[in-house]
Amino acid sequence: MHGKDLDLLFNPRSLAMIGASGTPGKWGYIILLNILKGNYKGKVFPVNPKSDAIFGIPCHKTITDIKDDIDLAVIATPASSVPGVIDSCGQKNIKNIIVITADFSESGPAGKQLEKEVVNKISKYGMRLVGPNTMGIFSARSSLHILMPTIIPSHGPVSMFSQSGNVGVQMLAYGKQQNVGFEKFVSSGNEADLSAIDYLNYFYSDKDTRVILGYIEGFEENSTFLQVAKTISKEKPIIVLKGGRTEAGSKAAASHTGSMAGSSRINKAIFRQAGITETASSQELIDCAKAFVNYPLPKGNRVGIITRGGGWGVLTSDACAENGLEVPPLSADLISKMDNLLPKYWSRGNPVDLVASIMNDPLPACLEMLANWDGVDSIICLGSGFSSFGFEYAKDLEGSKELLDTLKRISDLFQMRTQQADPVFKIIGQLVQSTGKPIVSVALGSEDMLGKNVDQYGIVSFPTPGRAVRVLKHMNQYRQFIDSQHS
Amino acid sequence: MTAKATTMASPEKIIEDALQKGEKSLSEYDSKRVLAAYGIPVTLEKTVKNKNDAVSAAKEIGYPVALKGSGEQLSHKTELDLIDLDLNNDESVSRSFERLVNRTDVKVDEVLVQQMVKGTRELMAGLIRDKHFGPCVMFGLGGIFTEILQDISFRAAPLSKWDTIQMMAEIRGKKIMDAFRGKPPVNREALASILSKIGEIGLVHKQIIEIDINPLKLIDGNPVAVDALIVLK
Repeated sequence: MHGKDLDLLFNPRSLAMIGASGTPGKWGYIILLNILKGNYKGKVFPVNPKSDAIFGIPCHKTITDIKDDIDLAVIATPASSVPGVIDSCGQKNIKNIIVITADFSESGPAGKQLEKEVVNKISKYGMRLVGPNTMGIFSARSSLHILMPTIIPSHGPVSMFSQSGNVGVQMLAYGKQQNVGFEKFVSSGNEADLSAIDYLNYFYSDKDTRVILGYIEGFEENSTFLQVAKTISKEKPIIVLKGGRTEAGSKAAASHTGSMAGSSRINKAIFRQAGITETASSQELIDCAKAFVNYPLPKGNRVGIITRGGGWGVLTSDACAENGLEVPPLSADLISKMDNLLPKYWSRGNPVDLVASIMNDPLPACLEMLANWDGVDSIICLGSGFSSFGFEYAKDLEGSKELLDTLKRISDLFQMRTQQADPVFKIIGQLVQSTGKPIVSVALGSEDMLGKNVDQYGIVSFPTPGRAVRVLKHMNQYRQFIDSQHS
Repeated sequence: MTAKATTMASPEKIIEDALQKGEKSLSEYDSKRVLAAYGIPVTLEKTVKNKNDAVSAAKEIGYPVALKGSGEQLSHKTELDLIDLDLNNDESVSRSFERLVNRTDVKVDEVLVQQMVKGTRELMAGLIRDKHFGPCVMFGLGGIFTEILQDISFRAAPLSKWDTIQMMAEIRGKKIMDAFRGKPPVNREALASILSKIGEIGLVHKQIIEIDINPLKLIDGNPVAVDALIVLK
C-alpha cells in the first residue's frame, strides 16, 4: 500500500447523509437521490432532525441515534454547523468524512478560520476528509454516486481526481458520451486534508484503475508531486489537464533565468519529468484516456497512413511532422504487394492513397499489409466508416426522373452501407490484437453514429485526423518515458 | 588563477563571506569559483588591482584576453560599458585597465583579466528555486537573444541523464548544438554533466536562489562558462 488507504472512503459498507432533505432542489435532496438512483450497494442512513423519512427511508435525528456502524459521513449542512457535526461523527467513530458544503477557505479569512477548526477536529479524531467545497466522489466498484450533478458515469478502468468540481463532473459526462468508463472519481475541493497526491497514491494502489486522469490548478509549496507521480507513471499512465497555464514569469527576479521561469514553464517541465501526459484541452484529455485504455503503446514514432482520399493523407502527414512523428516511405516489397490490389495510378508511398471505390474495397487488405510491415509502429486509417455526407442533399434536388432515380439508387446503396458497421472496424480490432500496434481510425461522420459502430470492436476512432495524431504523439512520448526508466 | 587553482576554493566559504558582507550576489569571479568547484568548466581568469598585474595575468592566460571592470552593484557589465574584448597585446591590456579604473561614473574596485573565448554559438544554463518544486535547472539559447527568443527548457533537480537529454531536445534552436559552419557539434556529455551539476549546486547550497551562466560558449565543442552570476537569498 502506497500512502493512505482510502478503500473504505471509496467503498464504504454504510454511509450517513447528514443534511439529507426531502425538499427538491436542496443539495441534501439531490445527492441522496443520486446515491439511491445509482444503486449503491451499502446501507444508507439519512440524518435530519426535522424528518421522519426521506424517499421512504427512515431518517435519524442525529448521527449518534444510528445503531449500525457507519464507514462514511457525507455532510451537506451549513458551514457554521460543520465542526459540531464532525464532533458527533467522532463520537460515532466514523473515520471518513466528505464535506460538500462550501464557504470555507475559498471565501475569505472567516472561512479560512472555520476550515482550520475542521482540520483540527479531523486530525483529533484520526479521520480523513474530502473537501470541504467538493462536488463529491464516485466509485464504480460500490456503485457509489455521491455527486452533486445527476450523472451516472460509464464504468471502466479510468480514475480521476479534479481540483475543480465542475470540470471533473463534466469529464464524467463527456466520458460517458465518448465511451470512456470511470472506476473512481473525486472532486478534491479545498484539499484541507486529503490532497491530489493522496488520491494519486490511492489510484496507483487500486487494482481496478489502469489509467489516471487529473485536472490540476495548483501545487502545495515544497510539493512531493514530482517524486510521487514519477513512481506511479512507470506503471500507470497519468494524463492531466492544467488550468492556469498562462501566468507570467516573476518580474522581480534578478537573473535572466529567474525572469523567464514562469510557473507554467516549470509545471510543463515537471509533467514531462514525471512521465505525465499533459493535454491541451478537455477533449484531448478524454481522447487520450480512450486510447491509453484501449490500445497498446506504439514501439516507436513511425506512422503508416492509409487513406481513401489524398487530401486527408496530406493533412495527416503534416500533422505528424508537426508533432514529432515520422511518416516513413514504404519498402519496395510492400509496394509490389500492394500493386497487385490497387489500380496502376495509386500513390506508391506513405500515405497509402487508395483510390476511392464503393465496390471491391481494397482498404481491409492494404491495411493488413501495412500493419504487418515492420517499418511502422502505429497506423492512422483515414476514411473508415461510411460517411453519410454527400447523398443527404440528393433528396432536395430537382431534375429529370432518370437523374433522380439514379441518385436514389446511389443514395440507397450508401444508406444500406451506413446502417452496417464498416467491416474495416472489425479488421482494425483484430490487427491491433495481432500486431500490438495502435491503429487509430478517423471517420468523418457524426460522433454518435461512430460511437455506435466503433466501440463494440474495442477500437479508437476520432472524427478528425488532428485528434488521432495528437493522441499518437502523447502515446509515443509516454512510451519514450517508460523506455528511459528501464535503460 | 586557472580553473585548476580555483577548484581549491570552498563554495561554502565563498558564499558565507559574501553573505557576511551583506552582498545579494556573488561577483563574476566568485560565481565561477563556485561553479568550478563542482567541475563546471569556466574561463581562465584572474582579478587584479594594478596595471602590471593585469599585463602579467594576460601573458599567463595567453592572448587574446578580455578585461572586465568589477565592483559591488556592477552586475550588468555590458550595459555599463565595462568590458573590453579581444585584447591582443600588453599595450592594449594596459590601456583597457586605465580606462576601466579611471571611470568616474561607476566605481570599479578591481579588474578581471579573462581568457577570450571566440565563437558565435552562445548557450545558457541556470537555476531558479521554485517554491513548489525546489531547485530547477534551465537550459537554452544564450547571448543577446536569450530574453527575446526565450528558447528555454527546465527540469527539477536532481536531473537524470534522460532529463538532460530531453532539455537539449526541447529547445526550438536545438540545431545550434549540431556541427555548424565548420565547427564541431556540442559535446553533449559535457553539457549534460554541466546541467546536472547546476542542479546539484542548487540541492546542496540552500542560500543560492538563482544561477545564470550566460553565455555558455563552445571551445572545440566543449561548453565553457564565460559569464556567470550567482544570486543569494
